[in-house]
Amino acid sequence: MATEHDAAQGGLQIHPMDQFIVKPLFGDGPVEWYTITNVTLWLAIAVLAVALLMVVGTRRRAIVPARSQSVAEMIYGFIHGMVEDVAGHEGVRYFPYILTLFLFILFANVLGLIPMSFTTTSHVAVTATLALSVFLGVTILGFVRKGPGFLAMFWVGSAPLALRPVLALIELISYFVRPVSHSIRLAGNLMAGHAVLKVFAGFASVAVVSPVAIGAMSAIYALELMVAVVQAYVFTILTCVYLKDAVGDAHH
Amino acid sequence: MEGGSDDERLRRLEAKIAEAKASHTPKARELQRGFGQGEAAWRMVIELVTGMGLGLAIGYGLDALFGTRPLMMMIFALLGFAAGVRTMMKTARELTRSTDDTGDRPEDKRD
Repeated sequence: MATEHDAAQGGLQIHPMDQFIVKPLFGDGPVEWYTITNVTLWLAIAVLAVALLMVVGTRRRAIVPARSQSVAEMIYGFIHGMVEDVAGHEGVRYFPYILTLFLFILFANVLGLIPMSFTTTSHVAVTATLALSVFLGVTILGFVRKGPGFLAMFWVGSAPLALRPVLALIELISYFVRPVSHSIRLAGNLMAGHAVLKVFAGFASVAVVSPVAIGAMSAIYALELMVAVVQAYVFTILTCVYLKDAVGDAHH
Repeated sequence: MEGGSDDERLRRLEAKIAEAKASHTPKARELQRGFGQGEAAWRMVIELVTGMGLGLAIGYGLDALFGTRPLMMMIFALLGFAAGVRTMMKTARELTRSTDDTGDRPEDKRD
């Protein structure tokens, strides 16, 4: 009732969550797993942008790098240093995967800031897949490197015998907390920021407050740009931390 | 001007390199810590809540399996809460360790 009334009045209509709707690109039927949607498009664009920067941008392999090459080299150096710092020398072997993860999340986040674009990383389905791949990778790596001894991580040897099964259960749950919190944080940060942007954009249609709304929008846009980069960085550095747990010695 | 043996020149060069390295490293650390603080706070809150949510979900699933509606949910909510606290404490410990590592000047950094 209320919304109909508002619509009749031509009042303020803000749909901050409409930007997250998954739509098929061609025609409109139900969304199946093979349907090409706007998510597919923007994921593909992110991959293309990464390839453009890292493959085409560095194609000339100049000794004195041009702009695109120096950007690519800077990102490479930055992530390489981070992996070496956090995961140790052993972790550097998995550097290609971590760089891929960082670049993909970074580009997906930043591409989402383009007006009218779709923010793929604002969906838990996307971020959970990324976090799950890290989780599975680290778990499998732990089993491969330590064998069944990897499970000893859950068995707290220093506790009284009666408490150990309960503690093992708690340890097991807390092992699963990380990938879940990982994906929720990334998706939540992106979604919240973009929803706020849309709300302010809606207020901009009211003439009285529009200067304030537009000013706030540009400020939040700047903040969102920082969030996009920082979240990509945080996701990557936490991946390094987990990697350290798997390749380093189990310390608890 | 070039004075001194090769040995001495080498030592001078090494000192120079160390100085240049020292002037580069803290900058990166500073940057990392800058947004590390707020991020760590969020991380801990989310971990706390996620632990409980995960416990509740597991309990709910087990209840659906065994038909013991409130029992498992209650137990696993508590276990999940404990797991959330544990993960949070782990994060806090990691944080203190990293500040201890880099805290050359303890007083002016703890604000």
